[in-house]
Amino acid sequence: MDDQVAIEKCRAGDHDAFRHVVERYQAEAIGHARAILHNREDALDAVQEAFLDAFQALGRLDLTRPFYPWFYIMLRNRCYKLANRRRKRETSSSDEMQILTPTSSIPPEDTMLLEKAMLELSADDRELITLRHLDGLSYQELAERLEVPQGTIMSRLYYSRKKLREKLERHSFTRISRG
Amino acid sequence: MAAMAIADGYQSEWSSAQIEAHLAVCADCRQEVGEMRGLTSLLDAQVRRTETEDVWRVVERQLSKTRTSPRAHDLRPLLLCGVLLIGYRIVEMVPDRDFGFLFKLLPVLLVIAAFSYLRENPFKINTELRLEGE
Repeated sequence: MDDQVAIEKCRAGDHDAFRHVVERYQAEAIGHARAILHNREDALDAVQEAFLDAFQALGRLDLTRPFYPWFYIMLRNRCYKLANRRRKRETSSSDEMQILTPTSSIPPEDTMLLEKAMLELSADDRELITLRHLDGLSYQELAERLEVPQGTIMSRLYYSRKKLREKLERHSFTRISRG
Repeated sequence: MAAMAIADGYQSEWSSAQIEAHLAVCADCRQEVGEMRGLTSLLDAQVRRTETEDVWRVVERQLSKTRTSPRAHDLRPLLLCGVLLIGYRIVEMVPDRDFGFLFKLLPVLLVIAAFSYLRENPFKINTELRLEGE
C-alpha cells in the first residue's frame, strides 16, 4: 500500500492502515531513537509514543511531502523529552552495540571504539553525526530535519566531529590521524 | 570547517581552490583537515545496526485504548462551550440578581472542560523551543 493511500485511510479512522506506516518506518525510527538515547527500552518507548503522536496529527500532514521527515520531528521531540527526564538517572551499561554493526571492511575493535566514543557525545552531537554519516543526509536535508539553517549545520557538524575525534584520541584510537 | 563542508558537498563561501591554497601553506590546518578526513572516511564506512523490534502491537493497543481518530477535533463541544460562555455573560448582565458563588465558578469550569477536551495543559512550559540558529 502506498503511504499516501494508507495515510488517507488512517485519517478516516482506519487503525489497520496505520500498521502499514508503522511497519514501514519502525526500523528506521528505532535506529534514530537509539542513536539519540543509546538505550533500547527508551528508544522503543520514544518510537511508540511518536507513532501515537503522528497518528493523532496525521490530519496536519501535507500529503505532497514524505511522511518520515515530518514524523522525525515528533520522534526527536519524544527522544529529547525522554533524555531530559532520565538525565539524572544512570544509563544502562549494556555491552550491546546500540548504533553500529561490525562489518568485514573495518576491524571490529575499531567499530567498538568508535561506538564507545559516540556514546560519550551529547545526544545532539550523536544525532547529527549519525544522520550525516549513517543515513547520508545532505546539509539541506539535515537543515530541514533539525529545523536549523544550513550554516548552523556546517558549524555544528564541524564541532561534533571535532569532539568525536577528541574522544577517540582519549581512547587511544590513532588510526584516523593517518588521514 | 569550510574544507570539511566542501568535502561534504556543501557550497561554502570559500572555493576549493582557495582552501587548497591555504592548506598548501598552513601545516596546522593541513593536519587538522587530514585528521577530519580520516574520521569522516571511518564514519562513512560504518553501517547502522539493523533493528528488528516490532512496535506495532503496543501502538495498536494504545490506539484502541486512548486515541480514536486522527481527524481534527470535533469542534461542536468547543462551540457549545463558547455559546455557554456568551449565555453566561448575558445572564450575568441582568441587574440586581445574585446567582451565588457556584454561578461565578461556571466560566472556570467551562475553560477547564475545554482544555480537558483538547488534552492540552495550559500551564505546560515547552522546553523544546529554541531560537532560530541556536
